[in-house]
Formats: sequence, structure tokens, C-alpha cells
Amino acid sequence: MNLVREISILLQKEIKIEWRQKHAIGGILLYVVSTIFVVYSAIKSVTPNVWNALFWIVILFASVNALVKSFVQENSSRQLYYYTLSNPTAIILAKIIYNSGLLLLLSFLSFAAFTLFAGNPVKDTGQFYLAIFLGSLGFSITFTFIAAISAKANNSATLMAILSFPLVIPIILTLLKLSANALRLLQDTSVWKDILTLLAIDLLMIAMAFILFPFLWRD
Amino acid sequence: MIRFCLSNLKPRKFIFMRKYWWKILGVILIIYSFTLGLLVPLKPGISSIDPGSMRTASSYQMEIVGYNTFYTRAQDAVRVWLKYDSIHALAASKTRVVNDRSLVADFDIPKYLPTNDRVGVVSVIVDDDYNGFSVVPSTVFITQDSVDKDIVAGSSAWKQGRIGNIHSKDQFNFPFRVQLSETIRNLYFHVPFWFSMFIIFIAGITQSIGYLSTNKLEYDYKSMSFTLVGTVFGIIGLCTGMIWAKDTWGTYWSWQEVKMNMTAIALLIYLSYFILRHSFDDDERRARISAVFSIFAFAAMIALLYVVPRMVSSLHPGSGGNPALGADDLDNSMRLVFYPAIIGWTLLGVWMASLIYRMQVLRDKLYDY
Repeated sequence: MNLVREISILLQKEIKIEWRQKHAIGGILLYVVSTIFVVYSAIKSVTPNVWNALFWIVILFASVNALVKSFVQENSSRQLYYYTLSNPTAIILAKIIYNSGLLLLLSFLSFAAFTLFAGNPVKDTGQFYLAIFLGSLGFSITFTFIAAISAKANNSATLMAILSFPLVIPIILTLLKLSANALRLLQDTSVWKDILTLLAIDLLMIAMAFILFPFLWRD
Repeated sequence: MIRFCLSNLKPRKFIFMRKYWWKILGVILIIYSFTLGLLVPLKPGISSIDPGSMRTASSYQMEIVGYNTFYTRAQDAVRVWLKYDSIHALAASKTRVVNDRSLVADFDIPKYLPTNDRVGVVSVIVDDDYNGFSVVPSTVFITQDSVDKDIVAGSSAWKQGRIGNIHSKDQFNFPFRVQLSETIRNLYFHVPFWFSMFIIFIAGITQSIGYLSTNKLEYDYKSMSFTLVGTVFGIIGLCTGMIWAKDTWGTYWSWQEVKMNMTAIALLIYLSYFILRHSFDDDERRARISAVFSIFAFAAMIALLYVVPRMVSSLHPGSGGNPALGADDLDNSMRLVFYPAIIGWTLLGVWMASLIYRMQVLRDKLYDY
């Protein structure tokens, strides 16, 4: 129970910090909208196939930009203070939960923006929402952990991209397939298999993050 | 000179054998796999057959081009059959040996096929006492003009050619596949590199875990050395695969081929590991964080190489992209070279890693970097 309490307090802290730095999330939202705008003024006519690919690429880049600050927005002495107060497991879990919430919000807002600018080719909305949910979860686990690693290094922003992009490729390929099915671009009879694969990858990543994070934070 | 040699043979001089036997074994196994893998000839086979389609109730002269065959050395006549199924076959009325590599067989195709279908597909079997027998499965299409309803006429005509008295040769040969032909030997280089890369990466991971549990820098150096060798092996595996792909699939790089792309991504992960290492000044910090990343990346690599490829189809052997070798892809003569090659390259990789490790330790002592 102690862990749950710690996590909820840390989550409240995260939300408070986000609220005080409203420009950060505003910046990410502006980033998404302007990316979509640039892409669509360049391509003009968008087939469902292109829509699907663009949607996930925009989400991918927006997520990296949103999560790169996870461990650098507060200064290191304050982080040390947190670590003396609470369990590192609670810290990484709270970060992951908070970040998946953030990415979920981001994805739904991008979905709304996409619908506004480029129409909505999604045929099976439930399945598409499921893809967004699993995607935000997977992205948040991987990016949060890599943000923790790259925060320790010198050039963290570049490192974040080169370390995390190869790692999320299995997730993004499965997501593309799942959402292509939701757009009825392909008829997949074994959707549950893709969902299970995504869940298995997420589970593997979160288990590794759990085990390894305690080694990461102490300096 | 002789006395010097003899003094070398004293038992205490062989102590180095007890320490370095695995290096010698590795080199011997690699030399063995090179010699056998490149020198053992392929089984005699058939590389092309003309014509590829026939009609019923007409005669054909079929030209057969052999590979590694010596038809002129056959004592008895070379026999050729068209095999429809397990009970229906048609023997050639006459065969003529043109030279060692080519053969002409005359066929009188009966009026009906032993089936109700318009088109039947037959396999070609060639047999003689010198080269043994070879089969080209499902290669010639035969079209019938009219269909025999109760199949009696077709069935009785096709039962004439009994296949029997087949010569099988028990020589040490590698199998002949039309699409692969001599490139089948690449199996002893391309695939062992993947196997030994994986073994060496696992060794690197155990050293990373060792570092995290003991905080001794030597584990970090060992882990780095293993990872470096594993990455080099991965690049060699990719390059040998690309050469093979050019020969059999017609292109160096195929975006349809999931395993190829996943491997490239896995190598990107390991290259980024080295970039991560170079972005720290502090030894302890570099060791700890790169150990954490390499364990995390290894888990992701398992998903990349062993989960995703099973979900989609692949050009690689094994059904449905299954990254395994089936009984069709590897026969006993190939196993005899393939497994020693894996062990040999792994031992050589460990040797290379130990050299890199010693170099790193010296560097640490002398230049402190």
C-alpha cells in the first residue's frame, strides 16, 4: 500500500509541475498542430494509407519531444531529494503512468487535429482507440526509461532520439498493422495476436525498466 | 635444431596447451569449415529442363541439362521418367546422352492424363548407375485437350512406366538446389555468424549484469569488448546475407524482408550503445549507464529478432518467417560443417574480445582513458 500512496503523491507532484509550466505542454500541442499543417500543405491529397503512416510518425516525434524533459526539467539536487525520500520503483512507475496519460491526451488531440485537417478515415473507432492506448503505453515506457538514461549523459536530446527510435520500432510496426486494420486497409483475422504482441512487448519493457531503474538514478 | 625441437616436446612446455586449447580448437574448426565448406562438391543435379509445358497425344524431345553430372560415364542407359503421382509415371521411350552435362529424352505423351483436370503437373526423375538419381519436383505442365471422364484410359497408359531399380549414391556431397546452386556454401558463413553473434551478445549481457552487481570496472570492459565483437559479427552476417540475397533474390536489400530490416535496426541499437559510451567523462557513470542500456537493449532485441519476424512472412527459409532451419534446409552432410563453424567462430570471437579487453586494460593503465 505504501508504494501506491507514494505513486499517487508523486503523480500529484508531476501534475502540479506540469500545471505550473503550462507553456511546455502548450508548446508540444503547437508542435503537433504545426507539423500536421506543414505535412498536409506539402502532400495535399491524403489517402488512408498515408494518413495512417503520418498519424503515427507525428505521434512518434511529438512523444519524443514531450518526454525528453522527463528527467531534466527539475534540477539534480531536487531529484536527489526525491530519491532520498522515496523508492526508485515508485518514481519510475509514477513517471511512466504520468507520461502515458500525457501521451494519451496528446494522441487524442492529434487525432482531433487530423480529423479537422485531413478527414477521418477510421472505420473501426474502438480498435483505433485501443491502438492509441497501447501505443501511448509502449511509447511512454520506452521513452521514459531512455529519457532517464540520456538525462545522465551530456547531449541528452540527440542521444534520446538515437537510443529510443530503434527500440520503439517493434512497437510502431505492430501499431501500424493494428491501425491499418482499424482503417480497413487490410483484413486481419488475427487482431488479438497483434494486441497480445504489443502487450507482451510493453510488459517486457516495463519489467526491464523496473529491474534496471534502481541502478540508474544513484550518482 | 633437432635438440631444440625435442626440448620443446618436454611435457612442461605443453602447459600453454592447457590454457590456450580453445584458441587452437577455434582456429582448427574454422580452417576445417573453410576447407570442407568450399571444397566438397555438390550432389549431381538437374539445372534446367526444356520444354516446360507439353500437350497430350504428341511426342517431345526433352533436353535435360545436368549440374556436376557425368552422363557419359554411366555403364547402363540413363533412364528418365515423368512422375505424375505415387502410382502413375511415364518412362522415356528413348534417351540419348549428348555430353556429360546434357541429355535428350524422347517422350510419347498418351492421349489422356490420369486425372479429370485440364492441366497436370509432373516431376522429372533421372537415374543412372554413375550419378545416382535426381528429381526435379513439379516442373513440367501437361495440358490435355479433352478429359477422360472415368480416367481408365489415362490411368492405364500412365501406369506403364514403373519406376524401379533406382541407384542411390552414398557420397559425401552437399545437396543441390536449383535456386541456390553453389551459393549453398554461404550457409557455413552467413548463419554461423548470427549464431555466434547471439552467443557473444549473451556473454556481454552477463558481464553487464556482473558489473551492476559488483561495481568492478573490469566487467564493464569485458562487456564492451564482447558487444564490440558481437556488433562486428552482426555486420559481417548482414554483409554475407546481402551478397547471398543479390544472388538468390536479385537484390542486395529488400524492404519486404522483415528479418533483414530488423537486423539492421538491432545493429543500430548496438551502434547507439557505443555513442552512449562516448558521451560520458566519468568511468563509473559510463560503466553503470551503458550496462543498464545494454541489458534494456538486449530485451528489445529479443522482441526485434525473435517476436516480430514470426508475425509476418519472410523470404528466409523456415515457414512463415520462422527463424529456424527445417529438415529441408539442412541435411546431415551440411550439419557436419555447419555446427563446427558455429563453435569455431564463437571461440574466435571470444579470443578477439579478450584481446580488446586486454588492450582496454592497458589503455586504462597507461593513458587513463
